[in-house]
Amino acid sequence: MSLAARDLTISYGGAPVLRDLTVDIPHGGFTMVIGPNGCGKSTLVKAMGRVLKPGGGQILLHGRDLWSYRGREAARHVALLPQNPVAPDGITVEGLVRRGRYPHHTLLRQWSPADDDAIAFALERTGLGDLGGAQVGRLSGGQRQRAWIAMVLAQQTELLLLDEPTTFLDISHQYELLELCRELHEEGRTVVAVLHDLNQAARFATHLIVMSEGRVVAQGPPSEVVTSRLVHEVFGLECDVVPDPRTLTPMVVPHTRRAAAASLAGRAQNAPRTSTISDSGNSR
Amino acid sequence: MRRAQETQGAQGVRRARRAPRGYLAAGPIAIPLARAGVVAGLAVLVLLLAAAVATLSMGRLGVPVPDLLHALTHGPSEGKQAFVLERLRGPRLAVAVGTGAALGLSGALFQTVTRNPLGSPDVIGLSAGAGAGAAVAALLLPGTLPPWAGALAGAALAMALVYFSTGTGFRNPGRLIVAGIGVYAIATAIIQYVVYAVERDRAAALTAYVNGSLSARSWEHAATVWATLLAVVPLVLLLSRRLAVTELGDELAAGLGADPRRARSAAVVLSIVLSAGAVAVAGPISFIALTAPQIAKRLTRLPGPHLTLATLVGALLLVLADLAAQQAPLPGSLPVGVYTLALGGLYLGYLLIREWRKGSL
Repeated sequence: MSLAARDLTISYGGAPVLRDLTVDIPHGGFTMVIGPNGCGKSTLVKAMGRVLKPGGGQILLHGRDLWSYRGREAARHVALLPQNPVAPDGITVEGLVRRGRYPHHTLLRQWSPADDDAIAFALERTGLGDLGGAQVGRLSGGQRQRAWIAMVLAQQTELLLLDEPTTFLDISHQYELLELCRELHEEGRTVVAVLHDLNQAARFATHLIVMSEGRVVAQGPPSEVVTSRLVHEVFGLECDVVPDPRTLTPMVVPHTRRAAAASLAGRAQNAPRTSTISDSGNSR
Repeated sequence: MRRAQETQGAQGVRRARRAPRGYLAAGPIAIPLARAGVVAGLAVLVLLLAAAVATLSMGRLGVPVPDLLHALTHGPSEGKQAFVLERLRGPRLAVAVGTGAALGLSGALFQTVTRNPLGSPDVIGLSAGAGAGAAVAALLLPGTLPPWAGALAGAALAMALVYFSTGTGFRNPGRLIVAGIGVYAIATAIIQYVVYAVERDRAAALTAYVNGSLSARSWEHAATVWATLLAVVPLVLLLSRRLAVTELGDELAAGLGADPRRARSAAVVLSIVLSAGAVAVAGPISFIALTAPQIAKRLTRLPGPHLTLATLVGALLLVLADLAAQQAPLPGSLPVGVYTLALGGLYLGYLLIREWRKGSL
């Protein structure tokens, strides 16, 4: 187990957001953390990325307390892409990716031969090979998010933590990014992502962690975890769970309120109506 | 663009053994040094030199340029020139360069870590605190402390007040600015009170100090501000790499292994020390700390932080403002702070109009 939380408690001044949480991140897996807003999923990932210091308990990295590592040492094992990173004015894609090499540098050695290979790899891997000299501010949303992924890739860590990487992207770019994450995982990295969309999570993840009110309420392969009962309990959403016609992974099909009220029986007949645009927001 | 070729194919891998352009490399050492930055820095340095020569040679008491060169190599030749160079304009110039540099660097540090282009230690009440301290020391309790010591004590007290009233020290930029504006208001109120409490003519003597002045500075003043620079600059060099990462946002910086809060606290403390050193020798000179980093940022199109360039621009701005203060055909001799205020006001107006035209305001 390369990354794990043990009795983790974290609070932002007031009531704890996470309380005595224990969870393991499967080595080499593509883990997605899901749960309703405010359930603590982002907090968990931030704690694992050494952004938040535990008030109690520990994060274990290779069996050792994450905070017993020096900052840059930990950053050579775990990379975190937060929700709202800031691109400095006037920075180029390559300049941004280069900053991901920070943990590998020292005061007098702010460049090493390995840098160029790592940066070239990261740019190529994210399809930005031709855009190294472009200004980050002028990129499209999808390209910009890939530039950030390239930055954490250049960090060359075996663990990659992504906090809601698909937010602000349109649907085709969401899938493009998730495919990229899956490829990165298939190349041998352990990838952990916080995601809002249950169907996307179930389709791409090898392991799901479902959180609610600061606790882990279910975890395991998507096919075992995602059930209509769980979605109802955790998200308060009535739904059917059917096999995704393409991948056979579980797919959540919410009921509409109107349909649920109108029909006490014949749930299946109403199911197709439930994917109207006005209701898709409920699954988030 | 320049690196794009190297990202493709084996050619890039072979060429990658040497540090790319934009680095100063020797043996195991490699430090980023972009050419555009070096060019801009040298240009500012040349202008600074020209402004320094003008400061020493212009006007009725000025030392002509040939004599200046002679004086530099052989020492001043005659009594009047010696007096001007050693007592009058020499120390004044040394104070102006050092103070301007300290203010420029102070502002660049502050703006980098607060991500606020209008940030400088002045905004959180450093100058106002210094002014209040000087006013109390010189007018309310005369004879207790010299004005500069009063200013330093006032600045220190104001900054301590900010530090303790945020609840998080200097870590959180938002709280820092809100608490600072409160302290600024208190300090300004104290200045107003002192000015009204004492007779008008004595208060007038303070006005020059509250605006910042470089007239009648000695080599001791120069030594004070240069010693501050000498102490702080190495610490800034140690910190600069972390500041560049902190620009990416706190969470990403933490993920990269650079503790953003510690970096921010350290940068704010260094920024305050630099500004306090400047205030101690010249009084609160406004707007240099604010504008120098902004000008430095626009001289190159490189991503920040532009610490070195802001330092040089700060020195240049103050020497130019002081040149104007000495040579402008205006009645009386206005303190240099009035000129920097005008300069900064103009520049700020220009910035606002530009942002407004771009539609981002």
